[in-house]
Amino acid sequence: MVQVGSSLLRRRALAATFVAAFALTLVPTAGAESQIYWWQHNMAPGEQGFSRTTAHNHTYNELYFGPNAGWRSEVWEITPAGYRHFDKDCVGNCFNSHPGYYYDYPYCANRDSSTHFVNDCMDRW
Amino acid sequence: MTSRKLSLIVLTVAVAGIAAAVLSQIGLGGSGKVQIGTGKVSALSRAGRTSDALPSSVLSYPFAAHNFASPDGAGARLVKTDGSLELYAVPGKSGMVCLIEVDDLAQTAGGACADRHVLLTGSIYMADRQEDGSRQVVGLVGDGHAYAEANGRRTSVENNVFVLPEVEGSQVTIGSATAAQTIDLGD
Repeated sequence: MVQVGSSLLRRRALAATFVAAFALTLVPTAGAESQIYWWQHNMAPGEQGFSRTTAHNHTYNELYFGPNAGWRSEVWEITPAGYRHFDKDCVGNCFNSHPGYYYDYPYCANRDSSTHFVNDCMDRW
Repeated sequence: MTSRKLSLIVLTVAVAGIAAAVLSQIGLGGSGKVQIGTGKVSALSRAGRTSDALPSSVLSYPFAAHNFASPDGAGARLVKTDGSLELYAVPGKSGMVCLIEVDDLAQTAGGACADRHVLLTGSIYMADRQEDGSRQVVGLVGDGHAYAEANGRRTSVENNVFVLPEVEGSQVTIGSATAAQTIDLGD
């Protein structure tokens, strides 16, 4: 009787392990969420792409014009209180990866004097 | 208003416009028109070393897939180490060249990739705003550039790159023994 009970417990534990492992595969990796906040359209001189829906502790911000980029760009972040952080000016396509110190919104901008097509601006948190 | 007066005004505006255009081309407010070298980056041609391998974290970013000629960063060269800051030159897609900065101590990384024609008249640079309002500027330049300068402080170009910390204002000058170019960092 004791052996039957022990065997049953082992099988239940094994089944529970499989269920837990399967559930874990469905959970996104913590800290690896991302979004594209500007998608494939022209950006005028000085125009800003941004996402102010929900602030996050961002760790990554990228602007990607395309393979022909050769003009100034900028990526940065702003907290809900208006403080600017992780501000990087570049020539061409640009990214900034950093610790998630601030709860903020991501921004990107075309800093040339002409309009350019922007493939995407994306962030991670 | 007589048609004569109107003609005079139109003529004056036209002359002023032409004068402004000419002045901008000879250096009063213009930049990036002076050409230095051929845009070649010799640092990318030297024999590879183990230390040239880009950190796996950099290769995992979407930026690498978007821009690098090879997904594994093949051809990258570690071109400068300055304290905890490491700078890499990386061959990019479709004729682009990339500058990648990695600071393990600060746990930061950044990158800029642009068409290599930029190197004829300027630099592929990154300018990071610091807490005190100044900027740290790192730049990749083509062969022939010898120095970078800002706020009266000059630094040498080595392996096609320069590092200028604590830059105030919005301009950096890069140059050779015989010519200089102005880089506008923006506001």
